[in-house]
Amino acid sequence: MKIRGERDDLADIFSRANRAVAARSALPVLQGLLCEASGGVLTVTGTDLEVTVTTSGPVEVMEEGRAVVPGRLLAESVRKMPPGVVTMSVGGGDAEIQGKGPRFTLRTLTLDDFPNLDMSPVDGVEVDGEELVNGLNQVVVASSSDSARPILTGVLFEPSDEGLRLVATDSYRLSVRDLPGMGSIGSGLVPARGLRELARTIGGPKVQAGMASREAVFSSDRGSLRLRLIEGSFPKYRSLLPESYPAQVLMEKEALLEALGRVTLVAEDHIPVRLKIGNGGVEVNVTRQDVGGEVEHLDAEFVGPEEILIAFNPRYLSDGVSVIAGDKVRIRMIDSLKASVLDDGGDGGFLYLLMPVRI
Amino acid sequence: MFEKDQAHILHADLDSFFASVEQRDNPALRGRPVIVGGGVVLAASYEAKAYGVYTPMSGRQARKVCPQAIVVEPRFSAYVEASKAVFEVFEHTTPMVEGLSIDEAFLDVGGLRRVSGTPTEIAVRLRDQVRKEVGLPITVGVARTKFLAKVASAVAKPDGLLVVPPEEEIAFLHPLPVERLWGVGPITAAKLHNAGVFSVGEVAALPSKWLASLLGPAAGHHLHALAHNRDPRPVHVGRRRRSIGSQRAFGRVPKTAQDLEAIVVGLVDRISRRLRGGHRVGRTVVLRLRFDDFSRATRSQTLTTATANTETILQTARELLSDVMPLIEERGITLVGVAIANLDDDCAVQLALPFDKHHRTELDLAIDDLRTRFGNKAVTRAVLLKSDDSWEFPLLPDPGPTDTDR
Repeated sequence: MKIRGERDDLADIFSRANRAVAARSALPVLQGLLCEASGGVLTVTGTDLEVTVTTSGPVEVMEEGRAVVPGRLLAESVRKMPPGVVTMSVGGGDAEIQGKGPRFTLRTLTLDDFPNLDMSPVDGVEVDGEELVNGLNQVVVASSSDSARPILTGVLFEPSDEGLRLVATDSYRLSVRDLPGMGSIGSGLVPARGLRELARTIGGPKVQAGMASREAVFSSDRGSLRLRLIEGSFPKYRSLLPESYPAQVLMEKEALLEALGRVTLVAEDHIPVRLKIGNGGVEVNVTRQDVGGEVEHLDAEFVGPEEILIAFNPRYLSDGVSVIAGDKVRIRMIDSLKASVLDDGGDGGFLYLLMPVRI
Repeated sequence: MFEKDQAHILHADLDSFFASVEQRDNPALRGRPVIVGGGVVLAASYEAKAYGVYTPMSGRQARKVCPQAIVVEPRFSAYVEASKAVFEVFEHTTPMVEGLSIDEAFLDVGGLRRVSGTPTEIAVRLRDQVRKEVGLPITVGVARTKFLAKVASAVAKPDGLLVVPPEEEIAFLHPLPVERLWGVGPITAAKLHNAGVFSVGEVAALPSKWLASLLGPAAGHHLHALAHNRDPRPVHVGRRRRSIGSQRAFGRVPKTAQDLEAIVVGLVDRISRRLRGGHRVGRTVVLRLRFDDFSRATRSQTLTTATANTETILQTARELLSDVMPLIEERGITLVGVAIANLDDDCAVQLALPFDKHHRTELDLAIDDLRTRFGNKAVTRAVLLKSDDSWEFPLLPDPGPTDTDR
């Protein structure tokens, strides 16, 4: 196999596919990128068997062929070439990357070891790529990275009256986003780790999205992202959304985020931030034994029968606040031991349910 | 503070604690040699100790030196209860109580003269109260420092009281054998003996540098200070544990992954219950290993939120174990331990959404309750059914939160 292309084009194709490659893997071949050159197109696939990214682009193909080349080295060596044309040729167990001047020789991995991935196309629907990515970014913050509970590492895709509902939870917070008009994407529990890569791997103005029996498949003119669905049933979350709230407070989003930024100077994330919420506004307060504390006051509009003292994990709170669209944050509360709900105060189609810290 | 100039620290130590509880509860055992524990001697009454029985000694050897001894099975719940009752007496004596273990504590009674009398009067009354209210003999040593108070109680045993007034400290300390010094075990003692040093007085006569070159700088400095009667450690009230752990040693019998996992399950069950009992939560799960060649290794994982949940801790411990299995297979294993570190009071706990509450917190609480009411064996796990429970040991009552910790 031998190809030639512009450094920037090749670097883009390799590095996007390499985002699926795990830093460590039990199977050595999964550290590699499968490169295929044929018919004037270079197609590159990286996978960790859960997340698979395929990218492609037009290049000058001098000799068709396939090879598996160590992913990080390949992507980085092309990226660090001087600007201009880069040639890649494979033969005799080596891949040679030749730029203007520098030449890398990389040992290839065994082609036959590369897993045989199902790459069959899936009937998807075309949706606004930016809207989908924005919606996903709002929910993935609530997903868990704890591999011991795989169900919580996914985002639930669920068709609803509103269109498509995305839900994620790590059992301490839960975020829900409704995307109108996207209901026909289908349902499934999709790994959040892969969804986080959507924008950077294949994101674009238009994205085709659909569900196969075991995979969620996203594709655009930049390539495809295939995510193996997580098996198991997602927690029944609907009954957790409170029907009414005796108290609520509305404040400036930026002001709260800045305050939380100051709080985290003092507190590690397991030290709760205390909010005293009443008619005078919100008093934000954190104290940490042996270190000190911070206290400040935020203006806010409060509606409720009496002042509430409630505490949260500061990181969980700022995660939720930062993904709310708009300038305002509304926190609706029942009491200091039950879940509060954060949203933008209107009907932005998004809410973030957060359990407090008992103090 | 003129009161600091007199002996004000009490070291109170129950005599042959487990055996004394047995003798208290069964009159037929009184005045006779009693051994608690059949496999390994956990405690021996003074009558048995007179025959040369000591702890830990193997049961077989103990029966050889004292064939007439009565061997009884340990009743840990009775010991925990007795310990609690004794600590209650301590707490009523002074607020300054530092528990050392299930059966001993330091008490600082300085400053109580007007309220309770002199330290000697307090010590006499304390022994009397423990005898009357709990029915157990206790020995008390009184001195100006913790170290001397502890030595005094050891010298005064059994069922005794020894006060070391400040002016008699050196005369009391210097004739003692070096083994009495805190931190001197068989190895250090042998080094000192080889150098011709047998008494504390002889240690005191040596220059600090000489001791440091013989025993290392830290140990040398430490012994020099103790031999000169310098021990500035105050009595710490409610010193909190920084970690809670449990471990199990076994011979060089090959252990399968399943055996090890069952052991870890048992250890996690135990320590997570202790966490909940002490209203603590922890963030870091530590797996300790000792290999055939006595080298050790630890592996740890820190969780995102502090927990006392059995299942969460077990999950993490299992992952740590499976990661380290190749090393275990290579080097052989003789000890497994699990500890929870990074402890916090559970007064600041991240609450979870109620969707799996039934599976976790409530299950833990229900099992804890069953075991408290019907004994530790009332509910067990399938993997533990076959395992022997000779390693079951009493749950030490953890000191509850105190004001000084906050």
